[in-house]
Amino acid sequence: MRKIFGLSCILTILFVVPTVQYVLAAGDEPGEYLDRRVEIWNLFFRLMTVAFVIGAVVSGTLIWLVLRFRESNPKAKPTKYEEAGEW
Amino acid sequence: MSGHSTWPEWVYIGVVVALLVWVGAESWNVERLVDHVPADAEVIKVTGQQWFWTFEHPDGTKEIGELHLQKGKPYKFEITSKDVIHSFNIPDYVVLQDAVPGRINTVWFVPKDTGEFPIQCREYCGLIHYNMRGTLYVEDTA
Repeated sequence: MRKIFGLSCILTILFVVPTVQYVLAAGDEPGEYLDRRVEIWNLFFRLMTVAFVIGAVVSGTLIWLVLRFRESNPKAKPTKYEEAGEW
Repeated sequence: MSGHSTWPEWVYIGVVVALLVWVGAESWNVERLVDHVPADAEVIKVTGQQWFWTFEHPDGTKEIGELHLQKGKPYKFEITSKDVIHSFNIPDYVVLQDAVPGRINTVWFVPKDTGEFPIQCREYCGLIHYNMRGTLYVEDTA
């Protein structure tokens, strides 16, 4: 159940929200005389937002991974290889 | 095969692929919008040479180092060079296109604000490249 919920959250964020936004913004399609300054800078800011969000998620995951699986973490337990003395 | 669940990895791959597709699609769409030249755009022939810009209007009028345009009117620049590669740039209007000898590159825009705006060369083209500048004068339509 949790897996399905997680997957639907991701799919919603990735596909449903942008689609709704795209449909709602359909009337805002620039006409013949669009302002290239606006188009180009808006694209730049959108892509920068995505880039920084990805950066935050990736670095956040790495920080969590390092803290959670450090040897000194009270929740840490030996791997099956360590338990068997193989490593 | 390993005994652990691989679904987070597939989700990760899916997210990465979806984001890359989105980035590509957004960029393609903006490029498509920006490249679409209005049919009534006035053609200005822009020629770069060491180290100044020449502009030719449709009526044959030529300007050197300065360009007078009217506010709210679409203009299409046909850009070329007589010697080395230059790059025609109006930073305030995000107009940037290479000027290549033997080739005509195009870019279009509509000046929305009146005033004076710098024009500059954006491709190193020799000793006086730093001073290969011009001025764009945007005037109110009479």
